[in-house]
Amino acid sequence: MPDTFHYLQQLVNGLTVGSTYALIAIGYTMVYGIIGMINFAHGEVYMVGSYVAFIVLAGLAMLGIHSLPLLMVASFACAIVVTSAYGYSIERVAYRPLRGSNRLIPLISAIGMSIFLQNAVQLSQGSGNWAIPNLLPGNFSFGPGGNQEVMVSYMQVVVFVVTLLAMAGLTLFISRSRMGRACRACAEDMKMANLLGIDTNSVIALTFVIGAALAAVAAVLLSMQYGVINPYAGFLVGLKAFTSAVLGGIGSIPGAMLGGLVLGVAEAFGADVFGDQYKDVVAFGLLVLVLLFRPTGILGRPEIEKV
Amino acid sequence: MHNVSKMTQLFAAMALVGAASYSVAADTIKIGIAGPKTGPVAQYGEMQFNGARMAIEQLNAKGGVAGKKLEAVEYDDACEPKQAVAVANNVVKDDVKFVVGHLCSSSTQPASDVYEDEGIIMVTPAATSPEITQRGYKLVFRTIGLDSAQGPVAGNWIVDHVKPKVVAVVHDKQQYGEGIATSVKKVLDAKGVNVAVFEGINAGDKDFSSLIAKLKQANVDFVYYGGYHPELGLLLRQSKEKGLNAKFMGPEGVGNDSISQIAGEAAEGLLVTLPKSFDQDPANQALTQAFKDANEDPSGPFVFPSYAAVQVIADGIQAAGSEDTAKVAEAIRQGTFDSPIGKLAYDDKGDLKGFQFVVYQWHYGKPKTEAK
Repeated sequence: MPDTFHYLQQLVNGLTVGSTYALIAIGYTMVYGIIGMINFAHGEVYMVGSYVAFIVLAGLAMLGIHSLPLLMVASFACAIVVTSAYGYSIERVAYRPLRGSNRLIPLISAIGMSIFLQNAVQLSQGSGNWAIPNLLPGNFSFGPGGNQEVMVSYMQVVVFVVTLLAMAGLTLFISRSRMGRACRACAEDMKMANLLGIDTNSVIALTFVIGAALAAVAAVLLSMQYGVINPYAGFLVGLKAFTSAVLGGIGSIPGAMLGGLVLGVAEAFGADVFGDQYKDVVAFGLLVLVLLFRPTGILGRPEIEKV
Repeated sequence: MHNVSKMTQLFAAMALVGAASYSVAADTIKIGIAGPKTGPVAQYGEMQFNGARMAIEQLNAKGGVAGKKLEAVEYDDACEPKQAVAVANNVVKDDVKFVVGHLCSSSTQPASDVYEDEGIIMVTPAATSPEITQRGYKLVFRTIGLDSAQGPVAGNWIVDHVKPKVVAVVHDKQQYGEGIATSVKKVLDAKGVNVAVFEGINAGDKDFSSLIAKLKQANVDFVYYGGYHPELGLLLRQSKEKGLNAKFMGPEGVGNDSISQIAGEAAEGLLVTLPKSFDQDPANQALTQAFKDANEDPSGPFVFPSYAAVQVIADGIQAAGSEDTAKVAEAIRQGTFDSPIGKLAYDDKGDLKGFQFVVYQWHYGKPKTEAK
């Protein structure tokens, strides 16, 4: 099979893109799992994270610091802190005052928040593209050479490894820690958890912070991989991540991870077989098919009617 | 003006109807300059206004046109079709008979409907959509080339100079990008060049790894991209990272400094079709210096076409010996005019005969050079 390497290459491409979709999708799915609303401002939180990462990277480079590990640690730390603060504030300002009202009202508030953040960044940072050079150029290459090879760039490896680490960390946190247990309890029955003495407000705030922190990780990774950002970048990425969350079963964390990977791989092969212009058609067609046969997504459980 | 009550405006309008002969007798000729002063493309608008203002200033210094001074009246359309129509109505109200504008094709087209109906001559220094001059209008002219002319220039250049083995034509599925890409593909097909891949991408996308894997598999050694700089910049960057050894080419929508920022070293060697750099022309040295003396940048692509637009109007009035717009339009169609962008002659549609696009080669960290 002469095409084996080509398809392996597309699989690698799809998995890398998909893993970042998955990271962002977790933010959607956790919030939905706990308070049953879709945080449409999440894509903008990701975008803010990428601006913070850019500012840190550019600032350190100007100070003459070029050590890659230091640059990465610094940008991860700053982006996570600032973006988490955004996540927390958004919940506090735009959603908490509306809790308990009709489901549609926080949804509109989220859309408003998304427009607000996009315009705020556009006004304060300008509407043009920002670009930084590739910090980690180079490839691993497998195969006999020529067209018969699979190229995996160092950055793709970093994206994949960091994503896996972040997901493993989140899974451990949710399944082992006290706060994680509280999260699961809230997801199951918010009122009951409240009665049993769990501070549901802080659990909800924590979900927003975790979601924002993971979006920040994705933002740093993608900014370093593609090197270009603009104030509108959050919309498309947010849409793809939301799709991943729904595909995997919204409300389910493993579902979001799986959904992201499936979507990424579907896009890569869709672009390969049908042409790049049909990439989104394939991805969303797949979503429709899955939802037709499994309305709750791949790993989603049917919603229990809470009375 | 905005405080004037509706009633007074109405009276003013009624008075104007009876005063057509009065306007001809006025001692200045009003030239409207309509383009974006605000909004996302305001920087292009600035080039347009600077060019036109300079032309009016210099013509007035030489004594004006047919014994009358020119008077600039400026309008901001923000590159929005709706606002452009409002601007056009204001032009009518202000009794301006000659307009340099508009800039964006999408706002030029609706405004030109108003101008044609009201007997106003419009010369656009920037709108390149072929459709604007395809509607049989008598009073619409350009001092810039057409999108449809750029494709063949690029296509022929590829065939004659690059001689690639396997070509990919990629576009962003938008009117401008797909239009140019299709016309390039037509030329290549006609000349028997192997176009192995013809695909659209999504504007705003960041990841082109699957497309690049596909181009590599097809052994593509030349890529033409129809669209704007953000996507091509990323495509160049990722192609270099993934070891795709191909030369790239694009239309004037990719040809600005941002592409070097986005693509970095990968922008080296990129080919771009652009209108000639008129400010580099030795014949324009004095004019270039005049812009520099006024602290204005002469290098933008629309500065000189805008200057030429004013000049065409002035020469048209001179040649017609009248300010009657139908006669002036006829004179512009008949004549040949010297201008800083070369000799201008018009076809029946109002397009320039033989507007030149030149192929430039991009260099990382250095100014572009004319490609050989």
